[in-house]
Amino acid sequence: MAQKYKIGTAAIFSTEAEVLKAAAAVRSAGFQKFDAITPYPVHGMEEACGIQRSWIPYVTFVMGILGCLAGWALTWWTSAVSWPLNIGGKPFHSLPAFIPIMFELTVLFAALSSVAVLLWACGLPKINPPVIHPDLTSHKFGIFIPNDDSGYDERKVEELFRGLGASEIKKAEF
Amino acid sequence: MSEMNQHDHDHENHDHSAAPKERDSRYWLSLDQWAQDPEFQKMAEQEFQSSPLRESDGEDGWARREFLKLMGASLAMASAGCIRRPVQKIIPYNKQPEEVTFAVSNFYTSTYFDGSEALGLLVRTREGRPLKIEGNPKHPMNLGGTSVRAQAHILSLYDPERIKTPIRNLLNKTKTNRDTITAKWEEIDDAVVKQLAKGGVAILTGSVNSPTGRAVIGDFAQAFGARHVQWEPLAHEEIREGQKLSYGDDSLPFYRFDKAKVIVSVDADFLGTWLMPTTFSRQFSKARKDIANMPKLVAFDSAYSLTGANADIRVRIKPSQQIAVVMGLAHEIIVKKGQTRFAGNASVKSALDPFANVASQLALEPALFTKLADDLIQNRGKSLIVAGGLPTLTAQSQDLQVAVNFLNSALDNDGATVEGKNGLPGVGASYSALASLVNDLNKGTIKTVIIHGCNPVYALPEEFGFAEALKKAEMVLYTGDRNDETGRQAHFVIPDHHSLESWGDAEIGRGVYSIHQPTIRPMYDTRSLGLTLMTWAYMAKRGSKRLTTYETYYDFLRSVWKEEIHPKVGKGQAFEDFWENVLQEGFAGSLADSSARNFKLEALSGVKPVSSQGYELVLYPTIALGDGRLANVPWLQELPDPVTKICWDNYVCLSLATAEKMHVREGHLMEISVNGKKHKLPAHIQPGLHDDVLAVPVGYGRTAAGKVGNGIGLNTYQMVSIQKGLPIFAGAKAEISNTKMKYQLANPQGHHSMEGRQIVVEATLKEYLKDPGAGMHKHHVFSIWPAHAYNGHKWGMAIDLNSCTGCNACAVACQSENNIPVVGKKYVIQGREMHWLRVDRYYVGDPANAQTVFQPMMCQHCATAPCETVCPVAATVHSSEGLNDMVYNRCVGTRYCSNNCPYKVRRFNWFNYAKLIEKPMHLALNPDVTVRVRGVMEKCTMCVHRIKAGKSKAKLENRELQDGEFTTACAQACPTDAITFGDINNPESRVAKLFAEKRQYAVLEEFHTAPNVRYLSKIRNDDQETRPGSHGHDSKGGHS
Amino acid sequence: MSQMKRNPLVLGRKSLKDITEDIVAPVESFPSKGWLGLFLSAKTLFIFYIITLGLVVSTGMGLLGVNHPNAWGTMIITFVFWIGIGHAGTLISAILFLFRQKWRTSVARTAEAMTVFAVMTAGLFPLLHTGRPWLDFWLFPYPNQRGPLWVNFRSPLLWDVFAVSTYATVSMVFWYIGMVPDFATIRDRAKNKIRYMMYGALSLGWRGTAKNWSHYEMVYLLLAGLSTPLVLSVHTIVSFDFAVSNLPGWHTTIFPPYFVAGAIFSGFGMVVTLMTLVRIGFPEFKNYITLDHMEVMNKIIMATGLMVGYAYGSEFFVAWYSGNLYERAVFINRAFGDYGWSYWCMISCNVLIPQLFWFKKIRRSIPIMFVISIFVNIGMWFERFVITVTSLHHDFLPSSWGNYAWSPYDTAILAGSFGMFLTLFLLYLRLFPAISIAEVKPVINVGYEEGKH
Repeated sequence: MAQKYKIGTAAIFSTEAEVLKAAAAVRSAGFQKFDAITPYPVHGMEEACGIQRSWIPYVTFVMGILGCLAGWALTWWTSAVSWPLNIGGKPFHSLPAFIPIMFELTVLFAALSSVAVLLWACGLPKINPPVIHPDLTSHKFGIFIPNDDSGYDERKVEELFRGLGASEIKKAEF
Repeated sequence: MSEMNQHDHDHENHDHSAAPKERDSRYWLSLDQWAQDPEFQKMAEQEFQSSPLRESDGEDGWARREFLKLMGASLAMASAGCIRRPVQKIIPYNKQPEEVTFAVSNFYTSTYFDGSEALGLLVRTREGRPLKIEGNPKHPMNLGGTSVRAQAHILSLYDPERIKTPIRNLLNKTKTNRDTITAKWEEIDDAVVKQLAKGGVAILTGSVNSPTGRAVIGDFAQAFGARHVQWEPLAHEEIREGQKLSYGDDSLPFYRFDKAKVIVSVDADFLGTWLMPTTFSRQFSKARKDIANMPKLVAFDSAYSLTGANADIRVRIKPSQQIAVVMGLAHEIIVKKGQTRFAGNASVKSALDPFANVASQLALEPALFTKLADDLIQNRGKSLIVAGGLPTLTAQSQDLQVAVNFLNSALDNDGATVEGKNGLPGVGASYSALASLVNDLNKGTIKTVIIHGCNPVYALPEEFGFAEALKKAEMVLYTGDRNDETGRQAHFVIPDHHSLESWGDAEIGRGVYSIHQPTIRPMYDTRSLGLTLMTWAYMAKRGSKRLTTYETYYDFLRSVWKEEIHPKVGKGQAFEDFWENVLQEGFAGSLADSSARNFKLEALSGVKPVSSQGYELVLYPTIALGDGRLANVPWLQELPDPVTKICWDNYVCLSLATAEKMHVREGHLMEISVNGKKHKLPAHIQPGLHDDVLAVPVGYGRTAAGKVGNGIGLNTYQMVSIQKGLPIFAGAKAEISNTKMKYQLANPQGHHSMEGRQIVVEATLKEYLKDPGAGMHKHHVFSIWPAHAYNGHKWGMAIDLNSCTGCNACAVACQSENNIPVVGKKYVIQGREMHWLRVDRYYVGDPANAQTVFQPMMCQHCATAPCETVCPVAATVHSSEGLNDMVYNRCVGTRYCSNNCPYKVRRFNWFNYAKLIEKPMHLALNPDVTVRVRGVMEKCTMCVHRIKAGKSKAKLENRELQDGEFTTACAQACPTDAITFGDINNPESRVAKLFAEKRQYAVLEEFHTAPNVRYLSKIRNDDQETRPGSHGHDSKGGHS
Repeated sequence: MSQMKRNPLVLGRKSLKDITEDIVAPVESFPSKGWLGLFLSAKTLFIFYIITLGLVVSTGMGLLGVNHPNAWGTMIITFVFWIGIGHAGTLISAILFLFRQKWRTSVARTAEAMTVFAVMTAGLFPLLHTGRPWLDFWLFPYPNQRGPLWVNFRSPLLWDVFAVSTYATVSMVFWYIGMVPDFATIRDRAKNKIRYMMYGALSLGWRGTAKNWSHYEMVYLLLAGLSTPLVLSVHTIVSFDFAVSNLPGWHTTIFPPYFVAGAIFSGFGMVVTLMTLVRIGFPEFKNYITLDHMEVMNKIIMATGLMVGYAYGSEFFVAWYSGNLYERAVFINRAFGDYGWSYWCMISCNVLIPQLFWFKKIRRSIPIMFVISIFVNIGMWFERFVITVTSLHHDFLPSSWGNYAWSPYDTAILAGSFGMFLTLFLLYLRLFPAISIAEVKPVINVGYEEGKH
């Protein structure tokens, strides 16, 4: 999955509170394409960065319905159309007996599709992507503003970050 | 065609001499190609140009013949392997064309004689090899019924342990077998002829019911001044002696159970092991089919016999009470009630007086006894009292017979239900005759003994002294199919044909002659007794013309039929037509009629009461093994005894009370000491046994029967004691003690009470007369789905529990028809038996005096089959003709179907049983039925292959299928006609009519499995108003 | 869970850095002697297991004690046993997640791992217990050239195929997705190339941006939502194998809830067993898997224990109340017949012994709870034995009654399955972060800062 990474300025913060404040500030400063990097999902980060609710559930729902229908189609076609057999004197299309299959396929389709979509939405897998700072997945927090963001000015950005108490500011590819 | 290659292939692999040559069926093009094969040429020569004394291919000769027969050579049925082998024609049973059509069975009429009963058979052959024994429906005696052993003896043909060439036993000083080597025919014949010249010859055979056999032996005996002695372990000597004492003639009578309204059996197991059980079962069940006035059977039983199990009223007695029963009845009738022509006769009165109050001695309520007496009086001339068999062989066995004859004569049954002289003419097996032979052997007057068709060394107690006496003979010749216990004491063992390989005949009743055709060319280098004797006479230039001139036994047989039998029963027919007709029909003639005989009252005076205390031993033969001659047939060893349900062992049966008294649990090893000798046997706790009785089966404990039979159980013939040259099988005083050692008996049936479930429905005659559907609770069942429609055929089966006697012939027939493996004792114990059809036996009522019901149980072919629903791969599904099909090659083996089968009739291949079939046993496999591989489920198919065959036959002949045109193996074998198979959709079919009967019900019908196998309730003619307990939906179970 | 709010979830005032280091330690350090010992013995047992199965498959099912009428035996019993155990994991991570039970975070990962391995262990049995295992693929409805030839969708066994394989897939995915951020953590700390590459690949290049986190949390929620009905359905369907048949003792409507309760019960039993061991093996984990955690699980064990007890009781009541002759006979036989001992063993292990947890002391005593959890496992195996065998061996026709012919192979297979499970589990402990790093971090402050959150 070769994809080109962006150049920009990154700031490292050492506490959750700081990064939240910073994210909100950066957003109010009019930046849109910036992103926050945290070792764990930080409570309130969506609001701070202005990220909308994820759209993945719609996919899950549709695929679930699809799985259910697929289950029905499979059972009905195989046992009533393609190869009708007198089994235990039961009707060829014995729906009650097919429900478990339909249910399982519903779950399977829904689950696998949402995971697939997640990977797609996050652009994963990435092969050995640039990392701003190794501690960002452990105990540090970061904010990255790409240089193609509206009103990006390197100096201004650094000032902004310094003002927000970044423990470290650096140019980075991300 | 692939099959024949298969055979040859197998044979190649087993041909140790030549390097195995691969001959793959795929690359096999034409017969010519075979013809080019040099080895093939060799075979052909050996087959067609008759070299003296045959090819030396003993080992695998059969395979080659097999192969040739497939080429249509099988019509060339060579006779008993004689020196020059001309070809005689035998005729398929009403089948045209006579040419063997590949994959189409031919049926040949034949006869099976088990030492006491002769059955008319149809032998089903495929490509020239016998596969299955069926009863000959036209046969006057068994009317198509067969017995367990008749069914099973086909396997003894393919027994790998048959001797394949003449052999010589090298005996050491003590005349015990040192070594065995193969011998040459000339060597033997020369030696014998020399020896015979010395005189002092004795021929010891089993009962000879064959006219030709008697002729050839008779002629030979005459020629060499030999003595002919007949002996069987189960000789009917006591009956003949009794007849002699009572009527002055010692031939066996023939009994008419079909004419009797009241039958009293005193330890005569006429439905199981006594005289001609198959014939009697036919008669008995035929009479009982008219339920409204069905005969009543009262059995006084000391062992729990099959007859006792089928009795309307069963009274448990001990052997010492047998005489009391009969004389007591006589007293009740003649003295108390003053009936019959003997009433008022002083001598009779004096003879009967000692038996005044028998009922109390027997500890049964007098009412029952007087009722029985009344029944007998009312049914004068239509009643029958029988006694006999091993359990009556007490010291007073002849008195018992006299008493029985007296009562029959008094009740005018003699000449009506007892036909004097008509039973098994010429059957002269006798212990006393053998005793005198032993005597002469010891004196040294007998130099040469020729033994045929019996096994005295095994079946006689040591104290009889036969084995020791035999060692004194200069030369002992044994003709048989194996080097068994007696064979090992013989200098030469002359391999005899198997009965399916040889010509023969039988007089199965006075004036009824049955023919016995070979159905396969002798597999090994064997020679029939007849030809052996003829050869010796020919070489010694002694004896009658027919003995010395004929080349083959067949010619001898024909001459006997021509000169002796044809004039008697030919009805003026030209002989050739008569002969053809006999071969086709299988028999000729009909029973002579007989009339009442004059009873010699003086005989009665000898009959005195017997008193006895303590345990009494009762030895009895089992349904499966009889006298034990077929002990090496695995089918018989694994066949559960109808009553005890135990297989692979014999044991001592104790009553519940006795067991309790001695703290015996099932399988405890007991020590029985009888006349000074100690024997160890496992205990079986048998309900309904007299508390003083120790019942022990004979026929086990063979030491030289073969891999299967050796060391199974204990040779209980050693428990027999001899008094005045006569054997005591019953009534001997015995001590018994519990060693508390554990021994595991293989009993495939888990539990023995119905626990109040509606499984076998039973009603008394009185109930039945009020309501034919009595005794059953009909459930309201309904379905939430529309059922599938069955246009065309819908196969079904009706089993009449009122006819079924539980003889198990169906079980063995099924095993033979469907290639069902035998698993052996260890695995029966683990619950791995494979029988598709089992005969369940339940005890009913008071455990101490339990009654018995039988129920053949196989796949019920349910219309809404639980097994089908749960199979994940649809390996078991319903056919358009209502059958529950099992698709072996689709089966993955989850065994869920078995769990969900309420009848537990499905069988799983836990191991690869087919791989274990030893050659040439695989020749007995039915090519119409798949041999199942490891890991698949199997079960009753309702003989679907027979259905297909029948349908295609009708189609070819472009006609409607007739009802009863074909039937299943079990139904065919059934001697009581209890199983009826047919098309339910055809309202005219017998089965459809039975389905409409009031007595019809389905087992577990409340689960709405809607089986296509239905049962008809059992009716007990026991004067009771209602059945005591254990039926309907109360949970009063019997004993468990 | 008010009590949970008071007591801290993570002891010892850990900083984010400490947490990372504590949890990653086992992955980055060399195995201890204890671990090696355990692993080697488990592996030996596993190999022995493989050999036994090989013999059974090559010789035939006859080696086991299965017979007529008991066509199912050890393999099915042990299958249900492991499948049941395989429920606690998903339950903890999914259902407790939906209920917002914060304490789940530190046990969820290991519980899920246990689930995955238990399902793997269980999955073998239905495949190998067939007569011809090499044809098992016939159970899948795949298009083929044998003319129209499909499977029978009316068979509970086929429902099983779908249920178990779906469950295995989904729970594995769930487990993996949960680990992705932690893999990223390990990757970023990696000193040597191999570890970097290995965990780099496992982490799929995760970098924890806010946008990703929001999707990630949503999907995690969805999976939790899907797994919840799934986990319930799986054991429901496993129970259908019995309930849908017509065998007295199997054919009961109570089975689905009864089986699920039993599954949770046995699952938590196993979790407690393993957690106590993990706490011994990795002392630093004591701060994350605290006594409070163990206590909560013990409470659940006690509750579910009562549920199965109720199920046992109601079965008997219904058997008596229905007046069904066969049903009644089976249950009387179950308690007082040849296999009565197994029934009472089950009752005492599953219903009586867990009642000890009424006492706080016992709830919080590691050695005692370990012993009890073992009893629970034993009891639950016997529950399946009782259900399978005592129903089969006394069914409709008394003539076909018979006992199970237990053979050494049965024992070998039962024991061997533990070898397989433990081998996998021990490997997991060293290769994967045994506690969810990313999930623990947000809750370190719980119990320290009052009122907040």
